[in-house]
Amino acid sequence: MVNSRLSLKRFLEIVPGGLSWGIIVGLIFLSFFFPVFSAVIIISFDFYWIIRTVYLTTLLVMAHQRIFRQRNEDWLERCMRLPPEAGFSELYQLVIFPVYNEGLEVLRPSLEALAASRYPRDKIIVIMAFEERSSYARDNALILEEKFGGIFGSYLSTFHPDGLPGEARTKGANATWAAKSARELLDARKIRYQQVVVSCFDADTCVDKEYFGCLSYHFLTAEKRHQASYQPMPVYNNNIWQAPSFARLVEISSSFCQMIESVRLEKFVTFSSHSMSFKTLVEINYWPVDMISDDSVIYWKSYLYYNGDYRVVPLYVTVSLDAAYSGNIWRTMVVQYKQKRRWAWGVENFPFVVEGFIRNKNISLLNKVRRSFHLLESHVTWAVWAVILVVIGPLPIFFGGAFFSQMAIAYNLPRIAGLLFRFTLLTSLTWIFLSWTILPPRPKGISWFKHVLLVLEWVFVPFIILIIGSAPALDAQTRLMLARYMEFNPTLKGNKVL
Amino acid sequence: MYNFQKIRFSLFFLSVLVFFLGLPLILFSAFGYKFDNRSLKFVKTGLIFVKTQPAGARIYFNGKLLTEKTPTSMQELLPGTYRISLEMEQHYPWKGEVEVEAGKVSRMDKIILFPVRPNLQQLNQESFNLFFVDPDKKSIYYLDQGKGVVYRSGLDSGIFEDVASLPDKFEPINGWAVSPDRRKLFVFNQRQIGVVFFDNRENYEYPVSPVLLDYRREKVAAAFWHSDSYHLVVLTDKHIQVIESRPGALPVNLVELNNAEKAAFYDFKEDVLYFSDAQRSPDGEIYNNLYKLELHSNLYSLERLIIQPFEGIKSAQKEDNGE
Repeated sequence: MVNSRLSLKRFLEIVPGGLSWGIIVGLIFLSFFFPVFSAVIIISFDFYWIIRTVYLTTLLVMAHQRIFRQRNEDWLERCMRLPPEAGFSELYQLVIFPVYNEGLEVLRPSLEALAASRYPRDKIIVIMAFEERSSYARDNALILEEKFGGIFGSYLSTFHPDGLPGEARTKGANATWAAKSARELLDARKIRYQQVVVSCFDADTCVDKEYFGCLSYHFLTAEKRHQASYQPMPVYNNNIWQAPSFARLVEISSSFCQMIESVRLEKFVTFSSHSMSFKTLVEINYWPVDMISDDSVIYWKSYLYYNGDYRVVPLYVTVSLDAAYSGNIWRTMVVQYKQKRRWAWGVENFPFVVEGFIRNKNISLLNKVRRSFHLLESHVTWAVWAVILVVIGPLPIFFGGAFFSQMAIAYNLPRIAGLLFRFTLLTSLTWIFLSWTILPPRPKGISWFKHVLLVLEWVFVPFIILIIGSAPALDAQTRLMLARYMEFNPTLKGNKVL
Repeated sequence: MYNFQKIRFSLFFLSVLVFFLGLPLILFSAFGYKFDNRSLKFVKTGLIFVKTQPAGARIYFNGKLLTEKTPTSMQELLPGTYRISLEMEQHYPWKGEVEVEAGKVSRMDKIILFPVRPNLQQLNQESFNLFFVDPDKKSIYYLDQGKGVVYRSGLDSGIFEDVASLPDKFEPINGWAVSPDRRKLFVFNQRQIGVVFFDNRENYEYPVSPVLLDYRREKVAAAFWHSDSYHLVVLTDKHIQVIESRPGALPVNLVELNNAEKAAFYDFKEDVLYFSDAQRSPDGEIYNNLYKLELHSNLYSLERLIIQPFEGIKSAQKEDNGE
């Protein structure tokens, strides 16, 4: 039984990488030996990509418009106008910051943003979740307690022991340890779990001052409030003016991708900093302690626990994080590559989810197939799209041979590819404009010329696509396929480690 | 939110519709099909791709001027023959007929429109009889037999200068070649090879006066520089020999030849001589054969042979031949 479960797990681990490599190798093979067939597939994919890009850009505009429409909303006031039975007066916000070895320069701004939020501070419980193995953890905890200890309703520093049985060195293990400590605190203060919304924030997360108001309103007004996660829009604005062009473009694109996902509710999964009912968190036995992509696995755990009746509610309010970069362009590329590979390691969700679906008899087959397909398709597309567009696209022209080169399709293939890039340019203009609108105010000491640079730097997009378009996803899937499991590595962001 | 999702689903289904309706049209178009309004059928067409050098030529397609200029393509053409004329100011026009096949590209991408007034430039500043262009060193050598002078200039005629004087009364000149190191040349006729050094005023390695190598018993048919720029490979009516380009040098006969009417080619890069010679076969017939003589690997032995007496070489050659 155990063997068959392990075999199934290994099989499911191989599926995404096998599929991605199969598509790439298959298309290369076709380009050499059946160039006409390959050209048909490439043209079809090009056309599909044009339509997909236009469709997703439209969704981005919709999400962006939603953020701007809700920008000046007084969420706290709306909460107060809710009927008393909604329970706003009894609602607590539990905020967990899992800390690896981030320094005070990262943690202070996050806590300051929390303190500046428009929400009753006595209803905010803060847990700074340090790793015991970090040598500066205790000193930093003391410094932060001294400054922020008296500001919030409760403030707790936890120290997650290293090497607990069954655990890997992951953020999820630390967050789970902190959540269990919070449970003891809530029990001691006789606060019911259903009155608590827990937010698990990356250490560099600076919340918008309206975040908790917005979160509370959506939580209190949501149907089946405990059967939902609440996802803010992550933007990498903390150091966006200081970050090099390469990092800035990648991070803006990441924010946009998340905004697009927020409109596709049936596919929407938690990512990075997010919130949920503490009751649900306890019921599903907290975050996974042995998986890197804890932020998305927590959603799938809940989805399986509630037999598919679990969703992610988008919050059109931003949380600001640090853009990942390093000293020079090459090191920035490496940092970005590793960060995206870690994100792409979310492919480990596929075997987890499919195994869960096999065990769960209460989720409809249609839902199981639909969600598994979405999960697989998104990861496989991530791993192959840039390879097909940039690398495989021209292959039939170069290696198709004399017979192919005299065919009309050989002439039309690059023309259609050119059309694709012109369309991409059009959508890029939309992205450039939208990226400008989500920027924070230009800090003092940053030249106005940076505004011009922010537009001009979009010419690097094709280059960026080459570097981190598909490669990190392909890398992550290959590792999973070969059972070379990744370990959690924090991302370097400027002079900070996150 | 409901309306939001409604708009999104509408957009999604619209995108799916556009994809499935548009893809067949795009693929049909890619394969060269077009919808014929008269027959109400899809017909397979071909296209012509035309590119000229220089670009920007006017295109007359079956006599009709097109708005596009080269490079461009004319698409959705029914199979058949089309007349094309390409015109450009100050250039000779190009005219031709192009066959178009269904589903295929007729590529005309090697057309050069030559200017009416070619870019003609005189390079020499003195009279001459023979010249040699050296693209590697970007130089041209001119030989004036009448005055006995060798000139040199750049490829654009810049710095025209005399670099050497030919030996007195060296007539006629049957052939000449500049050495691979570009520091000397040889001239030859049937009875003499003269080696002349360039710019030797400050180079004590070279003699001031030309080196003359006399051939009293044999007639020189052809000569080549060895890649070391010191040895000469000489074909006479009787032998293939090598000789150093120094005063008093003795030739070494490498091969005895049967036929005075021979052809030869010397590969400077590999130091290989290809030559033809007649050979009597065991059946008594005479055949003309092509031979290859490698001179690169045995240069050391070549030098060794050169310092040996002439008779010794012959016997050594015989031993090599297994005689």
